[in-house]
Amino acid sequence: MARAFSRRGGGSKPVHYTAKLDAVERAVVAGLMEQVHDLVAPEQTAPEDDAAGGAGHEDPFDAIVSGLGGLGMGVSVSAEDQAPDERPVPSDARSFGDRDPALERLLPAGNRADDQASAEFRRLTEHGLRTRKARHLTSAIAALRAPGTGVDLDERTAVDMVVALTDVRLVLGERLGLREDADVDRLEAELATMDDDDPRLHAMSVYDFLTWLQETLATAMLPGDPGTA
Amino acid sequence: MSIAPVQEEVVSSDSVVEPDLPWITLVWNDPVNLMSYVTYVFQTYFGYDRAKAEKLMMDVHTKGRAVVSHGPREKMEIDTEALQGYGLWATFQKDD
Repeated sequence: MARAFSRRGGGSKPVHYTAKLDAVERAVVAGLMEQVHDLVAPEQTAPEDDAAGGAGHEDPFDAIVSGLGGLGMGVSVSAEDQAPDERPVPSDARSFGDRDPALERLLPAGNRADDQASAEFRRLTEHGLRTRKARHLTSAIAALRAPGTGVDLDERTAVDMVVALTDVRLVLGERLGLREDADVDRLEAELATMDDDDPRLHAMSVYDFLTWLQETLATAMLPGDPGTA
Repeated sequence: MSIAPVQEEVVSSDSVVEPDLPWITLVWNDPVNLMSYVTYVFQTYFGYDRAKAEKLMMDVHTKGRAVVSHGPREKMEIDTEALQGYGLWATFQKDD
């Protein structure tokens, strides 16, 4: 049984955040974070690798992840594993273009009114954003894989964790079709009549767990929260 | 959920807004991001106090979007990049 994040320390002692997650819970969360890392990490296009000849471009971490299908304990956020979503994109939403919608949600267009400004923004910021997100995910995965049943985060790692949880929920939410507030009600209504073996039931229970976990961490991290000094 | 209407916050909010600066950063509503987390990001990144951060968060939630900063284009692009780094659905545009 998981125990929520809470804030420790403060005053003269360094602040840290602790939670208790069992081995399965930690494996599920870390596995999903690896999948999202695989999705968002910058593509390996270092010129020296290209010069060395084709095969050198694959990142060892990515190779490991792509070879292990079950890292999310039955929940896959890989684009290839998704049922087609034929619903029209809301007219005011971001343009998905040719990219995976989950990636587009992590790296949305910067300017809705001006495609050229968006393209320029993407050119300038995408690599840095991908690098930053990948770093948050790597740090959070390491924290979840540390020995023991507790998760103990210093202030910096807590930021990595709360952002990594956001990006995992954004990807999983997109895979579950959550693009507008109304989609949440629609999905919950569908879940009530779904077959027990529908993978969305399990995905939604994992999503709800991530939501709970992130909520407790974000609340504990709120600056100036009364009673947690 | 309700947010107490605090007059002082309206005043402090106005003092932040520079109406002659033509670019804005927007945050758009989405069904995934948590109210607590959005408030945390506004407090942490912009240094807004809790009341102002919650007011902006509620604007995003109830109105579909909120203007979270004003300034020159370069600064709005920096804010947009930072907020996207946090996973918020941020964009910049000319304020018209």
